[in-house]
Amino acid sequence: MSHPTIRNIQQPDVLLELKSFIGGAAHSTKPNHFELTKAALNLLKTLPAARDAVLEYFCTVFNMATQNFIIRIETEIATGQLPPVTEDDEAIISEIHSVICNFVSINAEAWAPIISTWSLELLGELSTRYAGRAHVSTSVNETLQLWMSCRSTRTLIDITTQCLSSHIHSDTEACINALLDTSVKHSPNFDWVVAHVGSCFPTTVITRVLSCGLKDFCQNKSYEQGCQSPKLKSVVGILGHLAGSHCEDIRTALLDLFNWSLEPLAFTDPKEYKLQKKATVPFLLQLAYLSSTILVAISKDIKKTLSLFVVAQLCRFIDDWCKYFGSPEALKEIIISLIIKCEVGGVQIINIFLDCISIENLSTSNEMKSNIQICAQEILENLLQEIDSLVRAQSQHPNAVINILDSFIREVDELNDILTSNQLKADTTSKIITFIGHSNPSVLVKSCTHLFRNATTNDHLNSLVYILTNELLDKTREPYCEKGGHFAIILNQVLTQAEEMPPDNSKEAVYLQIIKNLLILLRWEKSDQFPLLQSNIIWRAVHYNIINLTKLFGSKDYSITVHHALAELLDFLEIPSLDGHTSYPIPLQAVLNLTSGSVKFFFLCCSESDIQKFLGYGRIKNMLKRLVLHSKAAKMLALRQLLETALFSDNKTLFGAKTEMSSHCDDIEKLLLEQNRKNSKSIALTKNSSVLHGGVIGNGRKKSTSSTDLSKEVIADNTEQFLRTLKTCCTLPITDDNKSIDVSVDSLTSVSLLLVQFVSPDVMYNGLPWPEEEFCKVTIERDFYIRRLFNDTPLLWDLLTFVAMYRPTLCYCSVLLRAITATLIHQWNSIGDQTHLVDPLKYKSMLDTTTKVLDVMALGQLLPPPLSSIRDVIPCLKCSEIVQILRDCVWNYMRDNVPSPALFNCDSSGVVWRDPTTSRPPEVYTTTLRIIMQQNIETVGHLYCHMFIKIPSNE
Amino acid sequence: MAQLSGPEIKNSLRKLDYPLCAKEAIIKIGQLICNRVPSLKHMDLALDLMAELIFCEIDRRGNKRQTSLTSLDELQLLEILYDYLNSTHNETSRNAVFLSLFSGTTAMMRSNILSKLISVAIGIPAPCVLFSASVWMQQLGNTSLNSKQLAKSLINDYFILSPNSVPKLSLLPHIAPQFTANFLTAISNLYFNDVNKPSVTFPPINLLEAITLWVKDNSGLCIAAQQTQASLPPGAIAMEATTPIAGLLNWTIVAPLHNQHSELYGKLHLGLLNSILEIQPITPPRAISTAHLLQPFGKIVRYFIQYQKKYVDGEYIDKEKRLAENVDLQLSLDRYAQAIQVALSINCVYGNMEDFFYQLSQLPQNRLLHIVMRTHKLNK
Repeated sequence: MSHPTIRNIQQPDVLLELKSFIGGAAHSTKPNHFELTKAALNLLKTLPAARDAVLEYFCTVFNMATQNFIIRIETEIATGQLPPVTEDDEAIISEIHSVICNFVSINAEAWAPIISTWSLELLGELSTRYAGRAHVSTSVNETLQLWMSCRSTRTLIDITTQCLSSHIHSDTEACINALLDTSVKHSPNFDWVVAHVGSCFPTTVITRVLSCGLKDFCQNKSYEQGCQSPKLKSVVGILGHLAGSHCEDIRTALLDLFNWSLEPLAFTDPKEYKLQKKATVPFLLQLAYLSSTILVAISKDIKKTLSLFVVAQLCRFIDDWCKYFGSPEALKEIIISLIIKCEVGGVQIINIFLDCISIENLSTSNEMKSNIQICAQEILENLLQEIDSLVRAQSQHPNAVINILDSFIREVDELNDILTSNQLKADTTSKIITFIGHSNPSVLVKSCTHLFRNATTNDHLNSLVYILTNELLDKTREPYCEKGGHFAIILNQVLTQAEEMPPDNSKEAVYLQIIKNLLILLRWEKSDQFPLLQSNIIWRAVHYNIINLTKLFGSKDYSITVHHALAELLDFLEIPSLDGHTSYPIPLQAVLNLTSGSVKFFFLCCSESDIQKFLGYGRIKNMLKRLVLHSKAAKMLALRQLLETALFSDNKTLFGAKTEMSSHCDDIEKLLLEQNRKNSKSIALTKNSSVLHGGVIGNGRKKSTSSTDLSKEVIADNTEQFLRTLKTCCTLPITDDNKSIDVSVDSLTSVSLLLVQFVSPDVMYNGLPWPEEEFCKVTIERDFYIRRLFNDTPLLWDLLTFVAMYRPTLCYCSVLLRAITATLIHQWNSIGDQTHLVDPLKYKSMLDTTTKVLDVMALGQLLPPPLSSIRDVIPCLKCSEIVQILRDCVWNYMRDNVPSPALFNCDSSGVVWRDPTTSRPPEVYTTTLRIIMQQNIETVGHLYCHMFIKIPSNE
Repeated sequence: MAQLSGPEIKNSLRKLDYPLCAKEAIIKIGQLICNRVPSLKHMDLALDLMAELIFCEIDRRGNKRQTSLTSLDELQLLEILYDYLNSTHNETSRNAVFLSLFSGTTAMMRSNILSKLISVAIGIPAPCVLFSASVWMQQLGNTSLNSKQLAKSLINDYFILSPNSVPKLSLLPHIAPQFTANFLTAISNLYFNDVNKPSVTFPPINLLEAITLWVKDNSGLCIAAQQTQASLPPGAIAMEATTPIAGLLNWTIVAPLHNQHSELYGKLHLGLLNSILEIQPITPPRAISTAHLLQPFGKIVRYFIQYQKKYVDGEYIDKEKRLAENVDLQLSLDRYAQAIQVALSINCVYGNMEDFFYQLSQLPQNRLLHIVMRTHKLNK
C-alpha cells in the first residue's frame, strides 16, 4: 500500500467489458451478438485469461451463422428461392475473422496452436451437427463445395490454414495432431476439412500425418490393435483424399520415412526414435493394407527402394516385426496379400525376391544370406501358390480382379527380360506368364514370342514348353484353337518379326536360332520323354506355319548355314507324310516352296566344299522323294528346275559346262532384241540368221569358251549327285508288286521330254521319226545349236545316258540324237582322212562324240546288235568309212525304224526292253558295216566275229 | 447463519442455478471461515461447499464429476470470485478465504482457475486480489511449484499471448508491489535454471524488459514482500518471503556464459545492485541467503570445466592468460564479484558465511573477485 493513489486507479472499462460480456453471453436470452462480439474481441485483446470463454462464445456465433446458412439452403431446396443473407452474421464473422487473423499473423507462435485447435474442433462439431442436412453427402468434393459456400465454415477453414501456414515451419506437430484427433472424432463428416487443409499444405500435411500416425502406431503392441486404431484409419483417409492430386508427394513422404527408418540411430536422437524406426515398416505395411493408393505409391518403382543392400539392412528389424504381427507366418501372410493387391511394380517385386534368392555378392554373413534366401524363396513360393489358386478361382468368378496380374500384364516387357535370364528366374517368370495366360492369352503369346525368339538354351525352351503345356492355359480358346494352337501364333509372330528385320548378319543369326530351337522342340516332341508334348503342339504349329517356313528355304537372302538348318528341320518334319494318314493336309504352295527350295539347296550344296553337303544331299533326297510321291506338280517342278538350273544357269559350271566369256554381257540384251525383231519378220530357220554359233557378225569370231577351274573329281561328284537326285525325283512309291523297279518310267519320260524342250531351240521337227538325210539341210542350223550345247555341257551326255538306262524313254530324245548324228555325218564328210594326223584334237573330239552318241543309242536299245557295237569299230576306220556307216547303218536304220516306245516290250517283271534276238536289223542296214569291217578285218576282226558270227538267238 | 446446519445450508444453496449458487456459496464460505474461532466442522463445510458448489468438482453425493465447467461458466465463476474478493475489505478475511480456496490438497486442481483469476486481477487491475495472491504465494512458498505454475501462466497470458499489454504492466509494481516481488521470485526460478531440464531456457525479451524496468524504477520492489506483514487468519504461521534478488542476480551473472549478451542484463544487474544498496541494514540480515547467492557458482564451475576441456590437448601455455582472455567468463565473474561486494557491504546476507567463502575461493581466477575476497578476509 505504498502508493495508495495509484492503487485506487481502477480501470473500470475492462471490468465493465467483462461484465457486459458475461451478462450478454451467459444471461441474456436474446443478446445483441454484434455488440457482444465487439466486447468479446476487446476482451481477447485486453484480458487473455478470458480467451477460452471468448472462443467458446464464438462457437455459438459460428454455429448460429452456420445454422442460418443451412436453413437458407433448405428453404431454397423446398421453395426454390434463396432467402437473403443475414447481414449481421456476415459482419460478425468478418469481424472475428480479421481480429483472429491479426492475432495469428502478429504472434503466430503463441496463438496458432490455440486458434487452430479451436477452429478445427469447431469445424468438426459443425460438420457433424449439420451432416446430412441441406445436402446428401456423396463425395468429399460435394461436401467441400457446400461448406466452402458457407461463410462461417469458410472463415474457419481460412483461419485454420492461416494458422498452419504461419506455423508450418516451426511446430506443426500440434496443429496436425489436432487435425488428426478431430478427424478421428468426427469422421467421416470432417473429411472435407482434412482434404482442404491437406491440399493447401500437401507436403507438410502428408509428412506430419505420417509421423503422427507412426507415433500413434508405436503405441500399439500388436497387429490386431493396430488394425483397430482410429488414428490409423484417419491417416489413411487423409492420405486417400490427397492421393488424387498429390500422389507424388505421398510417395516421396513414404520413401523419406522408410529411408529414415533405415538410418542408424544417431547419438543425439530422442529415445522414442528407436521404437519408431522399428515400427516404420509394419506401419507402412498396415497403411498399404488399408489403402490402395498408398500401396500404389509404395510399390511404384520399388526396386529402387529395396535394393539388396537395403534388404540386408532390414534384416535386423525382422524379429521385431514378427513380434508385432504375432508370428513370422502372419507377417508373411500380410506381405503376400499386399503383393497380390499391388497394381504396379509386380514384376519389380518378383525381381527383388529373385535377386534375394540368388543373392551372392553381398558383404554380409553367410548366415544372413542363407536366411534371406530361404525366406525369399518361401514367400515367393507361397505367393505363386496364392496367385495360382486365385487364378483358378477366377474362372468361377470372371469379374474378380487380381491386381498383381494386371500389374504383370502392364509390365510384361520386364517379365520378358527375365524370361531369358537364369533358370530360377525363368521358372518363376514362366509360372507368372501362365497365370497371365489363363485370362489373357494374347499377352502370353507376346511373351512366348519373345522367349522363343531369344531362347538360346534348352532351359529357355523348357520354360516355353512349360508355359505352353500348362493346364492353366485354355487350349480350346478361340481364335488360338483354330489357328493351330498358341504356339502356331507364336511361331508365326516370330517368323514375321524375323522377316521384318533389316537384312544383315543378325537377321540370319535370328533365323538360325529359331530353326535350331524349333528343331529341338520337335525332337523333344518326337521322343517320348516329354509326355507334356504328346499333343503335338509343336508339330501342329509348324504345320500351320509351313508356308512361311518353306518360303525361307532356297531363298537367296540366306547363307548355306541357314539352309542346312532349314533342311534339317524340314527333313525332320517328314512332310508330306507318305503314309497318307496325316490329318493335316499340306498346302500346295508349301509343297512347291519346299520343292523349289530343295532344288536350290541342292545347287548350293554342290557349290560347297564342306563335308556337310553330303548331309544336305541326303536330306534333299529324302524331301524330294516325299514331295514327288505326294504331288505330280512337285515332281514336274523339281525335274524342270533341276534340269534348267543344271543346264542353263550359272550353276552349270558345277557340272563341267563351259561358259561363254561374258565380256560383252551388256550386248546380250541388245542382241536378243535384234534377234526377236528378226524372228518376228520371218521364220528364222528358213533364212540366214545373223546369229551363228561361230559368233555374231560384226563382233568377229566368238571368243573361246572357258572351262571352269573345278577339278574333274568335283565335277564327277556333282554330276553323280545330280543324277541321283534326279533319280530320286523319279522314284515310285514302294508297293509290293514293283520291287525290282524303283524308278517311274513316266517320270523319266518327263525328263527326256524336258531335255528336248530345253535343248532343242525349235518347236518344229522335234518328233520321233528320223527324216531323209537330205532333209537335214533344213535343220542344220538347229542341229549345230544342239550339238554345240552338247559340246559345252558334258552333263547332257550324262543325262542322255541316264535316260537311256530306263527304256524306252530315250525315244523321246530322238531329236537330240538325230541332230548330233546329222552334224557328225556332216563333219566326218567334210574332213579328210588325214585329219587324225593333221588335227588330232578335232579328230579325237569328233570320234569321242560319235562314240558317245552311239553308246547312248546302244544303251537305250535304239540300235540293236550288231549296230550297237559300231562304237567299238569306228576308231579303226577312215573318215569316209565312218560317214558311210553312220549314213547307211545308223541313219537309215533309224529313219526306217522310228524310235518309239512301240518298239519295246514289257516283260512279266515290268522291265521294258527290246529283245535283241527278235529285233535284229535287216541285212540292208548291216551290209555296209559288214563290208567295211571285212575290208578292215585285220584291225576289227575280233569284233567281226562277235558282231556277225556269234549271234545270240532265242534258242 | 449459525442456526442453519451444514446440510441445510447445502440444500438451500443447491436449489440455485450454477453461477448463482456459487455466488451465494462464496458468501457463506466467507462467513464460515471468518468466524472468530472457526470450528473444524465449519471448515469442513466450507471446503465441501467449495468443491461442490463453486468449483463443481464433486456432485451432491460427493462423487467426482465427469464434466468440468465450460469456459463461459468458468468466466462467470471468475467474475463472482473477483467480485467477492474485491468487495471484501477486511484483509484477514479476504486472505483467509483466498487461502482456503486455493491451498491444500486442491491447490493443483484449481491452479487453472487461480491463474485466470490473477490474470483477470492484473488486467483490471485489482490490488486487493493481487495482495491476497501475494500472501498465497508467500504462504505456499514463492519458489514452490504452485507459484511457479502461476507465474508461468501469467507470463503466457501477458508476455506471450498479448505482448501489447506489457506497457500496462509497468504499473504493476506500484499497484501491487508485494505481489510483484513474489511474482519476480517465482519468475527468477523459471529461467536460467537448468536443474532437471535438458536445456537452459531464457526469459522472453519483453519479460526481461519489463523486469528490468520494474527493478530499475522501483529500487524497493525487491524487498517489498518482506516489508509488509501479511494479515493472516488466526492460527496461521507467517512464512518468510524470498526476495527475487538472488534469483535475478543469477540471471545476470550466468547470462554471459550462455551467450545472452542483451544489454538488458547489464541494466538489470545495475538495477539489482541499486536495489541492494537501498536495503536498510537490519539484524539479523534477511534479504539474501548465501545458499541462493551461490546459485551461479555451480554453473560457472561447470562452464569453466567445459572450457578447459576444449583446450586439454592444446599446449600448456599461459593458462591464466587464456582465462583472462575469456571475456564472457570474466564478465560473469565480475558481475558476481560486484554483487557479492555490494551485498556484503550492506550486510544483508545471511547463512553459513565460511562455507560461502570457501566455495567462492574455488571459482576461476578473477581480479575483482580476488580483491573482494581479500577485502572481506581483512574485514574479518
